[in-house]
Amino acid sequence: MTRSSVTVAEPERKTQTKPQRIRRPPRPPVTTDVIDPKEQPSPRKRSAMTSTAPKRIAVVCTIYRYLSHAQHFADRFLVGYPYEGIWRRPDMEVVSLYVDQKPQGDQSQDRAREFGFEVYPTIAETLRCGGDELAVDAVLIIGEHGDYPRNEKGQILYPRYEFFKECVKVFEKDGRAVPVYNDKHLSYSFDKAKEMLDDARRLEFPVLAGSSLPVTWRLPDVELPLGCQIEEALMIGCGGSDPMDYHALEAMQCMIERRAGGETGVKAVQLLEGDEVWKAGEEGRWSKELLESALSRSDSPCGLTVEDGRTQDMLGNGELPKLVEEPAAYLIEFRDGLKATLLMLNGAIRDYCFACRLEGEENPVSTQFFLTPTPNVTYSACLVAKIEEMIVSGAAPFPADRTMIVCGILESCLTSKVEGNKRLETPHLDVQYRAPAESHHGRA
Amino acid sequence: MAQRLKIAAVTTIYHKHSHTQHIVDRFLEGYGWNGRHHRPEMDLVSLYVDQVDELSAEEIAEGKKRPDLSRDREERFPQLTIYPTVADALTLGGSELAVDGVLLVGEHGKYQRNEKGQHLYPRYELFKQIVAVYRASGRSAPIFNDKHLSWKWEWCQEMYDISQEMGFAFMAGSSLPVTWRTPSIDMPLDAPVTEGMCVGYGGVDSYDYHALETLQCMIERRAGGEKGVRWVQAYKGDAFWEAHHAELWSHELFEACLCRSHTLKPGRAGFNDIFPTIDELKEICQEPYAYQYEHLDGLKSTMIMMNGLIQDFNFAAHIEGKEQPLSTQMYLPMPPARTTLANFFSPLVNNVEKMFLTGKPTYPVERTLLTSGLVIGGVDSLHQDQARIDTPHLKIEYQPTAESTFWRT
Repeated sequence: MTRSSVTVAEPERKTQTKPQRIRRPPRPPVTTDVIDPKEQPSPRKRSAMTSTAPKRIAVVCTIYRYLSHAQHFADRFLVGYPYEGIWRRPDMEVVSLYVDQKPQGDQSQDRAREFGFEVYPTIAETLRCGGDELAVDAVLIIGEHGDYPRNEKGQILYPRYEFFKECVKVFEKDGRAVPVYNDKHLSYSFDKAKEMLDDARRLEFPVLAGSSLPVTWRLPDVELPLGCQIEEALMIGCGGSDPMDYHALEAMQCMIERRAGGETGVKAVQLLEGDEVWKAGEEGRWSKELLESALSRSDSPCGLTVEDGRTQDMLGNGELPKLVEEPAAYLIEFRDGLKATLLMLNGAIRDYCFACRLEGEENPVSTQFFLTPTPNVTYSACLVAKIEEMIVSGAAPFPADRTMIVCGILESCLTSKVEGNKRLETPHLDVQYRAPAESHHGRA
Repeated sequence: MAQRLKIAAVTTIYHKHSHTQHIVDRFLEGYGWNGRHHRPEMDLVSLYVDQVDELSAEEIAEGKKRPDLSRDREERFPQLTIYPTVADALTLGGSELAVDGVLLVGEHGKYQRNEKGQHLYPRYELFKQIVAVYRASGRSAPIFNDKHLSWKWEWCQEMYDISQEMGFAFMAGSSLPVTWRTPSIDMPLDAPVTEGMCVGYGGVDSYDYHALETLQCMIERRAGGEKGVRWVQAYKGDAFWEAHHAELWSHELFEACLCRSHTLKPGRAGFNDIFPTIDELKEICQEPYAYQYEHLDGLKSTMIMMNGLIQDFNFAAHIEGKEQPLSTQMYLPMPPARTTLANFFSPLVNNVEKMFLTGKPTYPVERTLLTSGLVIGGVDSLHQDQARIDTPHLKIEYQPTAESTFWRT
């Protein structure tokens, strides 16, 4: 067996006195079964032995600095990432970059210089690499972080829709479209999100979108059986709106979309705040049994646990309502009758856990979506593997409709919030799709 | 209705985030298990604490909180009584054994270190006091011993021998074998393992023991089961890097372990997750050390501690006929930086509960007898200029449980 060696590693970087452009060698195919496994050397050595040209990637982002989403995602295409027990180097190269804002700490020029790509002033030029026509095989749109205003609902107005539409314009004009990855939700607006996916359908290019939560490790590693009968679902999360409630909603959606009949759309939503959240629990509008189950998966109960380390039944001992600052319940009624709730429990917990009751099962199914620590945030490596998969296969491994419906749920919940927490009918959330049969979270 | 079991806890110290707090609290308060707040079907009725921290008058004046939690727990849980001696804790102040199971948690507390750097926790001494009650009562009960058996080999062997001779269920060990794994995989039973490795972090006679248990719980599942260990040798500093360059251990396994880490320190500023070059590795990890050992069936295993580089425990092994190593991380939700609860104690406590309920250990104590001997061997080798230590006393043969016992539900 060929043994790898960490001693074989980028000697250039250490010996250079000043940065210079490094043309990276071609990368191996993404699917390792293309190479005879017996011949497969270390991930570091593999780069010398492929004949197909690497896929060319354009990155369109808001900002590129340390720990921004663009840095997390684009860097993995530049320096590789840990996946399934190897350091995987995508058979792809970033060839062009558009960055909307260059705050202090901007890394776009440094990366361009080191990894040999261009930063262009417009999205069109980025996709055409300064030429006359589309010159890349895929686009990554990473519209997270940066200085953008919020609307009256507290949503940050990241220009993902605008970036996407610029790409669509190029695709239309040049008569060719390529796969697009859109980081996080498609847009703060459901209408815009829907238009984006309509464009993709019309021009027949695949779109992968969303959060890392659906694809990260789960503790325990559970997946709902496809076609299961879900009686009720509940998610607990933490953090601010609108970034973190979005992540929690999408984590819940990737579970419940596997129910019998698939996703059928949302009938109505309501966002409750303050004591109304607990009152709704007393009235059975969300399930305390499911809350206990979700809490049992948390590694981060606060209050007495922070004080002296003890484990807690936070619901049973009455501590939960005392701890939660500004509780919020996102109540979602689906068209097929399913009831799902997101409880944002800031002050009480610091992780994201899901529970649901399946018909005929005595105990709820529950799990934690494991957000691995900063700075590695290896959960984003799980998502990059899915982006690679789309770029290579030309098909998104899971439907962007998931992200679209979550855009709509979040937007309507926040509308409910600013309209006095009233229940809102959502006839526009007429979104039907089927979950993929295969699981896509971290499990190998 | 059957009577609820009575459990005694014999401990060194009971303060926040001590092993006693993690383990005993789970019996008292319950813990998240299988999607419920689970309460053990038994009562923790007695407690012996070897060291109870007191505050000085100044500290009390400053408003400092008493670090000891045993008295708070006794106040809050009416079934629990603190006793002044181990014998009293086991007899509930009477004349003979009055409990159905014993937790022996001899970790943390102010105990001396010897010249080799070993922490002289009194696990053996406490164990002997427990079995003295068993002998006097003509009856015994299952014992769980937290972590390795003792810092002295002869005492480890004696503890094991006594459990065999008296015929009580005896379980021991670390949380690493039973915690979550990312990915959630086990070594296939009877796999032809050709080399095993754990890359972890932590100090000598401390986390090295956890890394050895990480390794052992996987490789014991190999074809033929565990046969024992022929020798152990430590490498540190320059000798570590020389051994690494000479490929005394597989670089592919080393790399697989690092690729399972969630805490790989970036070798370059401005990157959040980048595989280190060898120069960067040496810069980041100033004092690496390793224990390598050869099993009696010829298998070679290596434990590598990369302080500064990672903060988790990762396992990888070559299996004959498999192109890629099998690898995983034994994930510890570790407070206070990452979590508030050290929930890796939950599967440990759950296994102990099962032993108390059934009278049968859920995994073999021989694993911990062997890792106790290995950590002593590693420490001895470090102390003797990294000489190879022959370990004829570690001819410890055992078979793993067919069923996986790590946390999956």
